[in-house]
Amino acid sequence: MLENFLLEQKTLFESGVQTVLRGQENRYRRIVIQNGNLVTNERSEESGICARVYKNGAYGFASTAEYSKDAAAKVIKAATDNSKYLDKFNSEKKQAYPSLVSAQITSPRMIIDYEQKVLVEMVKEIDAHIEKTYKDLLSRTVVYREDTMEKIIVTSDAADGHVSYPRCTIYVILNMTSKDGQPVELHQAFGGFGHKEDNFNDLQALYAKIDDLHKRLKDKAEGVYASAGVKTVILHPDVAGMIAHEAIGHTVEADLVQGGSVAGPNLGKQVASELVSIVDYANTAFGERAPLPVYLDDEGVEAKDAVLIKDGILTGYMHDRESAELYGATPCGNARGYNFSDEPLIRMRNTAVLPGKDKLEDMIASVDDGYYLLNTNNGQADLTGEFMFGITGGYEIKNGKLGRAILDTTVSGVAFDMLKTVEMVSDSVVWNTSGTCGKKQPMAVSMGGPAIKCKISIGGR
Amino acid sequence: MANILEISEAIAEYIKTKENVKADFSVSEIEQHEITMKDGKFTLFRTLFDNNIDIKVIKDNKKGTTSTNNVTVEAAKAAVDAVIASAEVGSPDENFDIAPSLEPEKFSLGVLTPDIEKLMERTKELADDIAEKHKKIKLMEMFTKYVHGHVIFMNTNGTRDEKEYGFYEVAIDFAGNDGEKSTGIAESYVILDSLDDRLINAGSIEKDFTDAENSLNPLRISDKFEGDCIVTPGCAAQLIGGVLANAITDYVLINNTSTWIGKLGEQVASPLLTVRSNPWDERIINHEIHTCDGFRSENYDIIEKGVLKSYAASLYAANKCGLEHAPNSSFDLVVDAGDTAFEDMIKSIKKGLIIGSISAGAPGANGEMSGVAKNAFYIENGEIKGAVIETMISGNIFDMLKNIKAISKEQLCDGQMVMPYLQIGNVTISGN
Repeated sequence: MLENFLLEQKTLFESGVQTVLRGQENRYRRIVIQNGNLVTNERSEESGICARVYKNGAYGFASTAEYSKDAAAKVIKAATDNSKYLDKFNSEKKQAYPSLVSAQITSPRMIIDYEQKVLVEMVKEIDAHIEKTYKDLLSRTVVYREDTMEKIIVTSDAADGHVSYPRCTIYVILNMTSKDGQPVELHQAFGGFGHKEDNFNDLQALYAKIDDLHKRLKDKAEGVYASAGVKTVILHPDVAGMIAHEAIGHTVEADLVQGGSVAGPNLGKQVASELVSIVDYANTAFGERAPLPVYLDDEGVEAKDAVLIKDGILTGYMHDRESAELYGATPCGNARGYNFSDEPLIRMRNTAVLPGKDKLEDMIASVDDGYYLLNTNNGQADLTGEFMFGITGGYEIKNGKLGRAILDTTVSGVAFDMLKTVEMVSDSVVWNTSGTCGKKQPMAVSMGGPAIKCKISIGGR
Repeated sequence: MANILEISEAIAEYIKTKENVKADFSVSEIEQHEITMKDGKFTLFRTLFDNNIDIKVIKDNKKGTTSTNNVTVEAAKAAVDAVIASAEVGSPDENFDIAPSLEPEKFSLGVLTPDIEKLMERTKELADDIAEKHKKIKLMEMFTKYVHGHVIFMNTNGTRDEKEYGFYEVAIDFAGNDGEKSTGIAESYVILDSLDDRLINAGSIEKDFTDAENSLNPLRISDKFEGDCIVTPGCAAQLIGGVLANAITDYVLINNTSTWIGKLGEQVASPLLTVRSNPWDERIINHEIHTCDGFRSENYDIIEKGVLKSYAASLYAANKCGLEHAPNSSFDLVVDAGDTAFEDMIKSIKKGLIIGSISAGAPGANGEMSGVAKNAFYIENGEIKGAVIETMISGNIFDMLKNIKAISKEQLCDGQMVMPYLQIGNVTISGN
């Protein structure tokens, strides 16, 4: 755990500027067993201190890998000097941000470190189970990944705090030979907030999920190519969550709105079916702890939920202090940096489509000719709202019943157009807690949603 | 800053006190100065100091790795103890190994002393050039950076490699924007070892701006057809990278899922295609000097005239799978130029696309891929008719390499790769 001596460094903050001092440690654990071979067995840490100083509309920033009082003093001075240096080039001066409420905010959970032996033994046990249970695999890979963060945040004019983000995930990747002699693959991530004991205390529960994964892989090995075109589909919550994050979330990040995203001219307008509401939750969702609870961001803003779409109407963007000032909005704590040397950017936290009232089985029964799309391996979206997701698992729906599995394909569309086609929304939310979003820096995120019935363009042969 | 020479020697001495340990490690210090502009205005100036220690140990045929940026002798010794403890709980595999000793060498690459004032000047000049010459470009964010690093690499067989390097980097996120309409996000990226020229002339920056401006009024393709696609150098790198990841890397070799296993010496691509991994090419800036296992890096051919010449196996994967380890681990791709001018490629196409990038799910081991053609232009009867939107392409990436019909004379050199345009036949193109 980081030693908290940064608060006393506030005396070094220069007056007339707005300063944030951040101490941070990132901890990574990675174990990979590939076909029974332990090919990766890794522990690593990165820690350091950074300072960011706002002066007349621009920032100076400095960081160092040392974690000490001397290092804190050095980065405060260097960041202040950088802000003055940059100020010479700026002809349009801006005013200081309005001060925020000061507070001391602490995460309810801090980081627990497990011996590598405990983690390696667990991954070996899972791999041995897969080897023993499934004899029809071409290959198997089990990955344990822990990416935790701990931050101490000290500000000149906002809240201070000590927060942590423990997270661990097990990825299981299975390969099988298809009926055509080609390798087919399915993978799934398990885990979420917290540590081994929070997520993998009961391996039998994990094995049941792996069994389901194996069954779907067997179906896929007999699968067919999807028929290309605009189709009626039921999106599994994992895919709906990806839409919330990629296709909507990014377009309503205020820095991308400034860049010309399609959300800019649509604020206050109907952009989706009235059945669709999307919220970027801070730390509590649906009465429970969100999968990646954020209590304080890296600008010292106390985190609150950001309502993005309510009943189909685009209601707001996600902000940092700079964009909140520009748009006359209240920042909700979305500014986060990945590493100690990273400046905070506007990032999503727990972005979800809100549940509706429909039952999944009724949704499937309502489709005459379409697809149930279950798994996605990645997604991308653009300023225009044009999006793409890779689909790695799914089934045909014929006359209201699930049919043959489909092989890998891609779905695409324009987010606001696609969301207007939403006809049914299921009544339960599933979270995907293992997401890492890329936007100059990586960032841990979670996304979720119910199943959604809509029309979407599907690729295929 | 830590004295990385002293730390390296201390780690080497400490590892010698451990029994039955093979190890390699690197100790590095990195300094970066980064300027950010948003919408043509300076918004952020960052100065970053970082260190790192990376250690790999093999004890009793069990491997462990660690890294830390706490670069003190005490922290380094603690890291050695911790990584040995990690290795001890691993699984024994006699295929783990490190490279034999190399002759001690010191390399100096690129610009070792930065000119930050000049970088500021060039950055402002680039913003001014965009404002003057590309009025329909919305400059979302532009990062210009100087990076300096100093790394010591040693192993228990006696290797002691030292590398000092420095380079400038330009990364631009932008979109075509006429005040009413916006294109999708486009990116341009280049690494430089000199600030002698205007930044707008580097890499494909100016062409990328022109393409974005020409994409403001896209066409919609309504039909589905098979046609030729010209992939730009950036897209060619994406495509070839996807093939190589699924065909010649450790993961697919160990998993036995590569469809190129057993195909050394066989035709896997068009005879027009030669793909080299050439870190020592003079156009590659800040290149690899030794492999991830500690062998001196050497250039090698992956595909020569369409014939598979080598896998990209690490020492472990090579030992495991009975292959030769690759002569470098850089993937600094250099694809030979062809004999067709880019303009002649366009003229030869009856119906097809120019594609700047493909937004697609990562192709699986079987190579099947479908995705959205981004920064793409429709060609009909040898003429570019305009940009396209919501257009998908599909096919098999292994087949695409076989279906290369022409390679351009022109190559893009962005400091990390040297890549021409590729003309690929029989790609399925479908509009919405």
